[in-house]
Amino acid sequence: MTFKATQIHGLIAATLIGSGALAFSGNAFANDSSELEALRALVQELDQKIRVLDRKSEIAEEKAVADKKAAPVVKAGSSGFSISSADGAHSIKLRGLLQVDHRNYFGDDDPHFNNETALRRVEPRIQGTLFKIFDFDINTEFAKHKEATVLDAYINARFQPWFQIQAGKFKVPLSLERLQGGAALRFAERSYVSDSIAPNRDLGIKVHGKFFDDKINYDIGVFNGIHDGGQSANDDDSTNSKEFAARIFVEPFKGGDSVLAGLGLGLAGTWGDQKGDTEHQSVKYRTPGLNTFFQYAGTTTSDGNKSRLSPQAYYYHGPFGLLTEYIRSSIDIKNATDSTTLDHDAWQIAGSWVLTGEDNGFGVIKPKSKFDWANGGWGAWEVAARYHELEVDKDAFSGGYANAASTTKKAESWSLGLNWYLNDNVKIATSYDHTSFDSGIDGVDDREDEKALFSRLQVAF
Amino acid sequence: MTHTFSKLLLAGALALALPLGASAADVTLLNVSYDPTRELYVDFNKAFAAHWKTKTGDNVTVKQSHGGAGKQARAVIDGLQADVVTLALAYDIDAIHEKAKLIPKDWQARLPNNSAPYTSTIVLLVRKGNPKKIKDWDDLAKPGVSVITPNPKTSGGARWNYLAAWGYELKRNGGDQQKAKEFVKKIFANVPVLDSGARGSTTTFVERGIGDVFISWENEAFLALKELGPDKFEIVVPSVSILAEPPVTLVDKVADKRKTRAVAQGYLEYLYSDEGQDIAGKHYYRPTSPKYVEKYAKQFPKVNLFKIDDVFGGWQKAQKEHFSDGGTFDQIYIK
Repeated sequence: MTFKATQIHGLIAATLIGSGALAFSGNAFANDSSELEALRALVQELDQKIRVLDRKSEIAEEKAVADKKAAPVVKAGSSGFSISSADGAHSIKLRGLLQVDHRNYFGDDDPHFNNETALRRVEPRIQGTLFKIFDFDINTEFAKHKEATVLDAYINARFQPWFQIQAGKFKVPLSLERLQGGAALRFAERSYVSDSIAPNRDLGIKVHGKFFDDKINYDIGVFNGIHDGGQSANDDDSTNSKEFAARIFVEPFKGGDSVLAGLGLGLAGTWGDQKGDTEHQSVKYRTPGLNTFFQYAGTTTSDGNKSRLSPQAYYYHGPFGLLTEYIRSSIDIKNATDSTTLDHDAWQIAGSWVLTGEDNGFGVIKPKSKFDWANGGWGAWEVAARYHELEVDKDAFSGGYANAASTTKKAESWSLGLNWYLNDNVKIATSYDHTSFDSGIDGVDDREDEKALFSRLQVAF
Repeated sequence: MTHTFSKLLLAGALALALPLGASAADVTLLNVSYDPTRELYVDFNKAFAAHWKTKTGDNVTVKQSHGGAGKQARAVIDGLQADVVTLALAYDIDAIHEKAKLIPKDWQARLPNNSAPYTSTIVLLVRKGNPKKIKDWDDLAKPGVSVITPNPKTSGGARWNYLAAWGYELKRNGGDQQKAKEFVKKIFANVPVLDSGARGSTTTFVERGIGDVFISWENEAFLALKELGPDKFEIVVPSVSILAEPPVTLVDKVADKRKTRAVAQGYLEYLYSDEGQDIAGKHYYRPTSPKYVEKYAKQFPKVNLFKIDDVFGGWQKAQKEHFSDGGTFDQIYIK
């Protein structure tokens, strides 16, 4: 039961005046008058005290409401942990990605690979926004032994949706699958297109944005320049030449009800001029089992143009998803005896189907029901299949540009994936990849097929 | 032929330009003000909109924001897009220059009377019959007297109240600062509730029925009498009080960004016009124009007023000594 202040005032007044009235009836008039005055004063004093308490409470409530409007907003949920200012202009978010893999190789007689449990990604990440338009992203990687590094570190100024400037270290806008987050991959490892040939992160600056209800995305940037599949150091550009990148990606039916609403088509490229450096010698074309099958010889140097071109597309409709892309990497190269242009090609096509009916997409699948042992939720299940291949220019072998251990001209891989999304943050995934190789050197046998089964436990927030 | 063609071109250009020139613009201003000026600016904004429409053809809508002057200044510093500020004291506007550089340092020299189009003072509002026999500031320091005033940390009016009491005691005791400090400490020991702004304190005293005496802006005291009737309250004019000069200024960077400089400047200048001064007088602010000083002379009681510059050495010094963190107010006020 709650009394309002006015009710309390009335109750006290009635009680005290009532008791005064009783006293009044039993005493002489002279005494009554002074006692009544004393009681009246007491009532007034108590009344004031109650009013003061009431008003203080009222002010405290007003202050609480005002403070709440000005108070930072703290959020904790499946999309991460964040704090933002009351007006939303400033925010900071803690994110993370942890992947623990178990790698099994079958029939690996020559060469032999060790089965192992490994940390694939350990990425604590801080993202935020200042003054509504200045985003920052600091993403670190601790998985590699003795090699903790900064993966991404950039500032993005969102002046307009169609005009944004991003500077720092970030993914080069080229390969579609490379731009897909590490937590959203459908297979344990990316395809040859994005893992071996497309550059990973590089230092640079780009102008980018979205037009026409986000149907057109563009990126134009200049970077220090990095070899195929490589990731730049944070402060040590090995050459003075720069690499340019441009990408346009169009989703013409985005936002509509059309069956083509999930269709996206793009074209991207990089180009630069590098002469006389040996940066390309760090190239390692590698299998889905993470084993290197091609490197340049230590006697080679770059000799001019370096370019890449990549048409790409995806299509998502209901539980179905398809992603395909092609890439050609061309490099002018020379050694002690000769020079040439080497063209390396790779492509992939990957499809997936969410068995439990959730919408497929470029990002992480969000299960309709979370895994719950006690109440019967089973999360989302997805199967995926992929074919991808990489073909090294044959002149790399005939001209002596490949190192002595590199004999494979072509690698072809079939991949099967099974993904279990327990909830928005936890995924258990397994991929099987079968890779076969064609030798690029007459008289040298094809490399033994690689059969790799990778299983992964992933937490991402 | 060429001459005729030129004339035709000119006529065509004029025909196109005329309707463009005649079209009225819609302009919105934000006036960030202190607590008790709500009613004043409701009337003044209407009058100014009509004046500006007649003068330029443009439609002006003036939005108002009110609160404790210190809080209001901080809001502008933090990004509230005020085209003009009309605050309770110069110190808070100085802060807008010092902390956000939204206005020039010499902002106070840009309009007459140190940019104060009207003045006011501090009086004492008591309940009808003056049951506690309040006659002057010293009565507020007596035991058993409940005093209502807002928080000087957040309210410009409260700072005027505090300094008025302090100045009274200085004059009474011949300039002994320690005695003045003890005196003001006793007054604040009698304050049961500290509101953040003057309007909140009016609510506490008038509507919630708390306290014996309300240290009030003169205009706020008159407003209480007008709204609730002289049968409920009385104004007690102290023997000495302070001349409050609430200043106004254009917020240059906001006005330039919003392209409202001309109308904002016109708005402030209109406060000094006959109509502006008359509206101020009607709302119990003391006009500064001699014509309207005379017109409203009978409305305002004669008070022995002192200036902050004369007794406290200006707002900057007063603020630092009395109201900054660790200042005199923090020393004397026990929560």
